Amino acid sequence: MLKVLRDLLVYNREFAIGFVLTVGIFLFALAHFWAPMPDSAIYLLPPDMPPSAQYWFGTTSRGQDVLWQMSSAIWNTMLFGLTVTVISRLLAVIVGMVSGYLGGRWDQFLMTINDTMIALPNIPILLLVYFVMRDSMSWPVLAATAALLGWNYDARLIRSVTLSLRNREFTRHAVFAGMSVPQILVRQHLPYVMPVIFFTAMNNLIWAIGIEVTLSVLGFSDVNRPTIGGMIYWANQHQAIIAGIWWWIAFPIIAVVLLFLGLFLLAISVNEYIDPRSRLSRMGA
Amino acid sequence: MLAVVETKPASVEAKPVLRVEGLKAYYQMNYFGVRREVRAVDDISLTIKRNEIYGIAGESSSGKSSLIKTIAGAITPPLRVVEGSVKFDFGGKELDVYAERPAMKAARWKHLSYVMQGSMNVLNPVRKVKHAFHDFAFKHMGLSEQDFRARVESHLQRIGLDPRVLEAYPHQLSGGMRQRLTIGLATVCEPEFIIADEPTTALDVLVQQDVLALIKEVQQRLGSSIIFVTHDMTVHAAIADRIGIVYAGRLVEEGPTIDVFERPQHPYTAHLIASLPRIGDTKKRIALPGKPPNLADPPSGCRFHPRCPLAIDKCTRENPPLVPRQTGRVACWRAGEVEAA
Repeated sequence: MLKVLRDLLVYNREFAIGFVLTVGIFLFALAHFWAPMPDSAIYLLPPDMPPSAQYWFGTTSRGQDVLWQMSSAIWNTMLFGLTVTVISRLLAVIVGMVSGYLGGRWDQFLMTINDTMIALPNIPILLLVYFVMRDSMSWPVLAATAALLGWNYDARLIRSVTLSLRNREFTRHAVFAGMSVPQILVRQHLPYVMPVIFFTAMNNLIWAIGIEVTLSVLGFSDVNRPTIGGMIYWANQHQAIIAGIWWWIAFPIIAVVLLFLGLFLLAISVNEYIDPRSRLSRMGA
Repeated sequence: MLAVVETKPASVEAKPVLRVEGLKAYYQMNYFGVRREVRAVDDISLTIKRNEIYGIAGESSSGKSSLIKTIAGAITPPLRVVEGSVKFDFGGKELDVYAERPAMKAARWKHLSYVMQGSMNVLNPVRKVKHAFHDFAFKHMGLSEQDFRARVESHLQRIGLDPRVLEAYPHQLSGGMRQRLTIGLATVCEPEFIIADEPTTALDVLVQQDVLALIKEVQQRLGSSIIFVTHDMTVHAAIADRIGIVYAGRLVEEGPTIDVFERPQHPYTAHLIASLPRIGDTKKRIALPGKPPNLADPPSGCRFHPRCPLAIDKCTRENPPLVPRQTGRVACWRAGEVEAA
């Protein structure tokens, strides 16, 4: 694994850039554990200070340090994204593999649900959930809701892979040798499906962060908990652009763009690693 | 390759290891209200003795694969057993494949193993070879992890493979090695009965010879019985003790290999053997006109009659029964009149 990582860093420039960006942003987010003040405190510092040696990224109109707010915000946003990714991957793998392998009624039942979910628009559903649960809304509930909306396309993809695996000789051999259905799925098919899960996880993470930012910018989340979208929401509430407090909006946007870029570069270069044909064409073979 | 082997002396144990009686297995489909029935295995009875290699020959779509899948109990709908029984005798205990499902499940791989058609793809491409052994054989052998590993390694050495292949992925091995591995996989539990479905079909002749020798050697060491299916008559000549010829889902002839090759009783067998090239013979081989019949709508009477040069009126009306004749059994109204070409 380490050797693969080293080779990718040396030979694949997209991976190297993506890796540096993602790890850099992750370390920056990690730094919020050592922040000098709690991220929920307001009016601790003089408001509206431009970037300076004392406040690198300036301060907000609410008297917070933009640097430490961003650090917490990226952490929370990434945590939200990862939670959505893990839950939705679990759903996608279970539904996709069971539906593809068992077929018949199971397939019909699960794919009916799946296709119905695909047809539903995401944002209106999330807004509806937010309005219904207004007072008891917390980020884990929102993450679970987003996860329930984010697994369908990948479940179909995994189902198609499992469908082809089901008819391979090694599956028939395993059935004949007396392996049970869960054993076949986990031990014979899962290793084959793993790269698909890995690649879709990257895309799903980007999608989940996008959802979080969208909802928070509109104020449909716990606005007292700093997130990237939440910072932009407060900046809008205080009319930061009109007041000329550009640093309040610019730095969070730059951070999220860099995070997206890093994850995207990782995703495409990992795809290249998984698909040997594109690796070969890169070598000029 | 056409060196016919001598038949072994009849086994002292009279009790056969496999008895198939009046087996009928049809593909029954019911799509959009249209019922279709494909009679892939139609009234087949045969017995296989201990320590015997029984070859099943027939052309593509004659129902050979369906037959052995039914014998192994490895069928899924739409293929269903309509009538008849398949009974194994493992160590004196009789086991009815379709009546005792749980016992049958436990017996698979331990007593009855299967080398599948296209067994080049039997190994999972993304997992190391050792996992395949573990998944298929570990629970049947009841050994500790270390003993199991040692047993697998010595077994591989005996069939001429370096135990290091256990740490390899299938794509790192050659076709011949993979075929050896699948045979090793099927024999590691020392089963009493092995079903081999076209195990040499995708191999070139050199590797084929090697694999056949290996199968024969393993069979003799373990004393197991093998049912060996292939359309390649030369392979049958090299390995089988007895041959059964399948045509359109029915067994048309059965007998000791040497007799079937030298004195075929059924016109279809005669053509099958006449079509084999022989060294020094420059005569043009004549192809039998026509195609194997559609099993959803088979011809009346003897299913071979539309293609048979000896067909008479009776053949179109009545189905000939499989009756003993000389050293084997044959299903033909004009069995005595067939001349080997």
